[in-house]
Amino acid sequence: MLSLSVLLLLPACASFSPDGGMSVTADIAARHLRKDVVAIRNDEEAEAARAKVDDLLKRTLNADTAVQIALFNNRGLQAAYNELGIAEAQRVQQSLPPNPSISISRLTGAAEIEIERKIAANILALLTLPARAEIATERFHRAQLAAALETLRVASDARKAFYRAVAARQAASLLEQSSAASSTTAELARRMTASGAMNKLDQSRQQLLHTELTTELARARQRATSERERLVRALGVSGKDLAFKLPARLPSLPNRPPSIKTVEDEALKGRVDLKIARSELDSLAKSYGLTKATRFINVLEGDFIDKRKEERTTGEHSHDSGFELTLQVPLFDFGEARAREAEQTYMQAVNRLAQKAVNARSEAREAYRNYRTSYDVAARYQRDVLPLRNTISEELMLRYGAMQIDVFALLTEARQRIAANANAIEALRDFWLASADLQAAVIGGAGASSDSSSNTTAMAGTSEPAGH
Amino acid sequence: MITRRNLIGTSAVLAGAAAISGRVQAASIPEAVTTTSPAMQPPLAPTSGPAYQPVVTLNGWSLPWRMNGEWKEFHLVAEPVERELAPGMTARLWGYNGQSPGPTLEFVEGDKVRIFVTNKLPEHTTVHWHGFVLPNGMDGVGGLTQPHIKPGKTFVYEFAVRRSGTFMYHPHADEMVQMAMGMMGFIVVHPRDPQERRVDRDFVFLLSSFDIDPGTSLPKVMTMTDFNLWTWNTRVFPGIDSLVVRKGDRVRIRVGNLTMTNHPIHLHGPHFEVTGTDGGWVRESARWPEVTTDIPVGGMRAIEFVADEPGDWAIHCHKSHHTMNAMGHDVKTFIGTPQKDLTAAVRKMFPDYMPMGTEGMAEMGSMEMPMPDNTLPMMTGFGQFGPLEMGGMFSVVKVREGLARDDYNDPGPYKHPPGTVAYEFKGAVPDATRRSGVPANPSNVELSVVKPGPKSHSNH
Ligand SMILES: [Cu+2]
Repeated sequence: MLSLSVLLLLPACASFSPDGGMSVTADIAARHLRKDVVAIRNDEEAEAARAKVDDLLKRTLNADTAVQIALFNNRGLQAAYNELGIAEAQRVQQSLPPNPSISISRLTGAAEIEIERKIAANILALLTLPARAEIATERFHRAQLAAALETLRVASDARKAFYRAVAARQAASLLEQSSAASSTTAELARRMTASGAMNKLDQSRQQLLHTELTTELARARQRATSERERLVRALGVSGKDLAFKLPARLPSLPNRPPSIKTVEDEALKGRVDLKIARSELDSLAKSYGLTKATRFINVLEGDFIDKRKEERTTGEHSHDSGFELTLQVPLFDFGEARAREAEQTYMQAVNRLAQKAVNARSEAREAYRNYRTSYDVAARYQRDVLPLRNTISEELMLRYGAMQIDVFALLTEARQRIAANANAIEALRDFWLASADLQAAVIGGAGASSDSSSNTTAMAGTSEPAGH
Repeated sequence: MITRRNLIGTSAVLAGAAAISGRVQAASIPEAVTTTSPAMQPPLAPTSGPAYQPVVTLNGWSLPWRMNGEWKEFHLVAEPVERELAPGMTARLWGYNGQSPGPTLEFVEGDKVRIFVTNKLPEHTTVHWHGFVLPNGMDGVGGLTQPHIKPGKTFVYEFAVRRSGTFMYHPHADEMVQMAMGMMGFIVVHPRDPQERRVDRDFVFLLSSFDIDPGTSLPKVMTMTDFNLWTWNTRVFPGIDSLVVRKGDRVRIRVGNLTMTNHPIHLHGPHFEVTGTDGGWVRESARWPEVTTDIPVGGMRAIEFVADEPGDWAIHCHKSHHTMNAMGHDVKTFIGTPQKDLTAAVRKMFPDYMPMGTEGMAEMGSMEMPMPDNTLPMMTGFGQFGPLEMGGMFSVVKVREGLARDDYNDPGPYKHPPGTVAYEFKGAVPDATRRSGVPANPSNVELSVVKPGPKSHSNH
């Protein structure tokens, strides 16, 4: 029989944390994204977030402000933070001793009335209280990481949606130029048919080309609209906020790609999803009372690294060797464990973590290769293709001045130059998407959208008519 | 410029060895004189051998020689050269002694000439003496009459000059390429008697054509007919010298054609007669007055006139596209196509764009738009009243009073006596009256065209 005093000996009750468990998310957001996050829980917080978003929306967006707006404004993210609040509430609840139940029963017989007063406590609940509290704490901790992961995902989505929206808009305005060129050509052709200098065949060809480019332009405008809507969803804006301003062009390519020498290592250390898996393992160990670890294993053991990486374009090279990548988990002696289930469940989690770690490394490598390749492609457009196109335009203008060619040749070249610029925009967009994917591969938050190299922008003028 | 080092000294020393046979004497080679200037050089008066009245090579020069006994010795070097076609454009050609065309060779009837030819080209060559009657083995047809002159080798041509007249030299080895590259030169044979067929001024030039893309300097040697640069002595107007003439002078102009088409050469002002071909002098009784003479492919004509009308008289090929420089043959015709309102749209893509051609092409003559490197404007050259709108085969015969005998300096534009220049009518100009019976609108004319074909046959 437990006396009430026993209850007083129980561990101190857990209390709600002052930041609502947001510290982990805030820390990751600050460290990796350099952004603020806020879990809106009352009117004042809502007001403050609203004010910040309003301020950011006043200016022309850039990738960073887009991410910040999404972090403040995206309701899906707030829902994830609510989940965190729920986990914390459960943690607090699980750390409380069970409420004793007080009952009074009255038995009436023929001769007497017996009243029994009983204070009952759930003994089992009391006995398991420390373990349950610990599990709830772990779960809370995982919820914190999950919130962080969702934060990264929202940030990554917003960033990519921003690049897509700007690129689609830029491509559409280039096509507008191309369409203006073909409109001029078509009008000249019409007038030359009237003056007797052009036949119906050639005029129809010019007219057709213009019609095709006009159609292309309509499609490009539609793409720009839907990319903008994707960004709207990522930012979580509505109403008057829909009037936000986008820059006319994508940010330019960095002079040198920032090099990440130990991208795999960073992924193992930084990936929030790995942290969550690891934490799941820890809580499993606790829930099964697996306290006696016999040894530690590196789930990546045997993967000896010795490689020299050299980037041809930048000349950077790095040399990695040894068992640098480690992700250790304890293995337990299951002989003392009561349940065979415990062993299997734990080993299942270990294997899952190992698989996750292998995937994380592979994803990081892939993302880095994609990032470097897309950088090289974009750089080739910026440094070779576009300057050469400009030279061609200039030389053609000189030939026009020397009466070697006519304005039709100039306008044809204009369309080709515009098409090259459209390709360059696409390459630049792919670089920025790859760079967002790389960040996601290293710190997590890749989400479902990893279609960075999708070719959604159709090219203007790439299909010239066979001749005229 | 010409280097004449040792020229006179050498011939003086060798003059005493006249008795030595040709082949032995040929063991010593005269110096090859070269020049890099496209400017006309003064006529080369003979300092040894028989006297003659020297010719003037437009934008060119005559090759100095030496007497070696009874032989008159020349040294031609076939080599790659750079020739300025006009200020602003230099072509990379093949030629002789530093220039294309090569220097003019001047012989005298009865001369025994020995010509050393050194090949500094990357491929073999020969020299054919166009119009000469000479020993067959000296005719210069590679493979047919002699072995080819391999690169680095020197060959000797020796022949006696039988008659006076107008001649030329050019390769007869890979000649399509070598002539497209500018290998040619003029030869004038003077009469033994300097007073025979004497004229006061004797101009010579060769017609040649090149296909050089704007922005390049090497001719396209595979071009058969569609050349874009038509030249006199490998120069285009306004880079061609004027033919400066003293009033009252008897003037001879000798023209040779080494292009692949004929050229009707037309002289304004004085009428002329054709007095010679590459076949010889035209008998007096066979001459007729002309203002245009057609120079056939591979032919030569000498024309003569007395310059009794002062002025600036145009002389040009009458094929109008030969008095143009390079032009784009695929440029469409914009006459009657308004373009001004479309200019802004094009300038968005090409900021320097200016529309042209709506009112014709004359504006090109005065427009100065930036062009590719090493390219000449299509129509250029200015006179005292405005743009001449010509390039290519065009020059001016400038007849002036009171010039010195050997003065070939450009006297500037002609000063017209008052009242002798076309002038603007200031009175009222009535509207044109249309003759009745002539349809006002050509489209009102009913045209019925029957297309020949199976259908019309079925009617039979
Ligand atoms: Cu001609």
